[in-house]
Amino acid sequence: MIEVQHLTKRYGPFTAVDDVSFKVEPGEILGFLGPNGAGKTTTMRVLTGYMPPTGGKAIVAGFDVFEQPIEAKRRIGYLPETPPLYPDMTVRDYLTFVAKIKGVPRADRKARLDSVMERTRISDMATRHCGKLSKGYRQRVGLAQAILHNPDVLVLDEPTAGLDPKQIIQTRELIKELAGSHTIILSTHILPEVSQTCQRVVIINKGKVVAVDTPDNLTARIRGSETMYVQVDASGADAQGALSQVPGVRQIAVTETRGSVTGFEIDSEPGRDVRRELASAIVTRGWGLLELRPMRMSLEDVFLQLTTQDAAEPEVAHE
Amino acid sequence: MSNILAIAHKELKAYFASPIAYIVIGFSSILFGWFFVNLLYYFNRLSLQAGAGMGGPEAVSVNDMLIGPLFLNVTVILLFTLPLVTMRIYSEEKRSGTIELLLTSPLTDVQIVLGKFLGAFVLYATMLAVTLVHMGFLFAFGNPEWRPVATSYLGMLLMGGCFLSLGLFVSSLTKNQIVAGMVTFAIFLMFWVINWIATFTGPTMQAVLNYLSITEHLNDFTKGVIDTKHLVYYVSFIVFSLFLTVRSVDSERWRG
Repeated sequence: MIEVQHLTKRYGPFTAVDDVSFKVEPGEILGFLGPNGAGKTTTMRVLTGYMPPTGGKAIVAGFDVFEQPIEAKRRIGYLPETPPLYPDMTVRDYLTFVAKIKGVPRADRKARLDSVMERTRISDMATRHCGKLSKGYRQRVGLAQAILHNPDVLVLDEPTAGLDPKQIIQTRELIKELAGSHTIILSTHILPEVSQTCQRVVIINKGKVVAVDTPDNLTARIRGSETMYVQVDASGADAQGALSQVPGVRQIAVTETRGSVTGFEIDSEPGRDVRRELASAIVTRGWGLLELRPMRMSLEDVFLQLTTQDAAEPEVAHE
Repeated sequence: MSNILAIAHKELKAYFASPIAYIVIGFSSILFGWFFVNLLYYFNRLSLQAGAGMGGPEAVSVNDMLIGPLFLNVTVILLFTLPLVTMRIYSEEKRSGTIELLLTSPLTDVQIVLGKFLGAFVLYATMLAVTLVHMGFLFAFGNPEWRPVATSYLGMLLMGGCFLSLGLFVSSLTKNQIVAGMVTFAIFLMFWVINWIATFTGPTMQAVLNYLSITEHLNDFTKGVIDTKHLVYYVSFIVFSLFLTVRSVDSERWRG
């Protein structure tokens, strides 16, 4: 549905997007993840036909965005980082204008408008001026604007920015609902959002794609070893000595000391579960075992690891 | 075409939803009224002198002595007010980010530019329409020729179109409304005074400067003459400015 091939965008000497390629299948939600200034917005702007690329191409719903811009744009709904609202227009007038320029037939306009306002929960603000709306409403009017002409592809630049927790959940639900009939790319730097809504993630840093995979695979792939957190009611030195004797343990570090309680992070050989041995080593010595849990690497860690590596090799995995 | 109208409609709504339209139309009307009253007193005195046989002409024409000079004077109002109309057109969209909506919608650059021009033009036409009231009084209490009045309005519409298209172009160059307004005003003024030095220059230069002057071309219209020379000047001025605007919008995309 969306195909980006070797996309490059330079602003003068500065390369904002460098040879980015990825594909999005119909009905999929793709998360676009990266630190600020990584090139997310630029990629989205190229994809929506706002600006032409310096090199490479973008194909949306079968149309090259630069060869057949009108056809491609008919099939794209775009929510930019700042919702593009006219402050002096009421919500209804604004959406009517958008419907006109997006080519919604006159006969369907009213029905479309009502159903979209219903879905994005802005019906109660229909007669309010866009300039007088709260951040949450602005964002939702922006979303309504993007889905108004029922496009095949939705490009959402930080759709939940500025919303309160309840609105964030509602917006995510809405995005998931839309996924079946629409193909969605959304950018964000809120990591839980990606694991909750997206089927696949593209991580981009300094204009380059550093990883493309499912959120689960990413967290699994990056983990070089298994890490356990163990909290013991015993003196630190004794426990550390005893636990490092357990077979399979590679490294042990004290992370916490509180009175007689000590917390350790224990790295073990990959693929080997040492929890039973750790537990029995503690219990047979008569110490209290207060906590024992595997420390899963969160997407956050993956993200940090991928985006802070200096000479990160671009790798495209598991298409 | 429906896209152009949709944008024009949106632009007009923006003018009338904000104070811009009311301020521009209101104050222009007050100033127009003042010019009108001034010229009317002058005309009355001339008529009295003529009627009393004090050595003046036998009769004075309301067209030549009142309506013609009135429209020529009124160009000053346009000089000040039209930059206020055009300075926001592109600058505001750029600043607020709504330009992203327009450029990612299935619209061509030409449709956007024409829509915006049309919106501003209709506002200007509304502003001119208010002055029909003054003409109404002249027709009610005098006997002016209607043809020169009609051609004067045609000339005013064309000249306003030049100002608006030029202002639109300047607005497409910057995010800053004040910059757009000031530059537009300066360029308008330049086109207005460009032939002031004409009399001090050689014959070729004089012809060139007079041809460039935006008001020089209005003269014949106020006298009831529609000369293709002037039509070509105004229409090509408008088309060229709109063309530059389209190019400017397009180059903006490439520069990012």
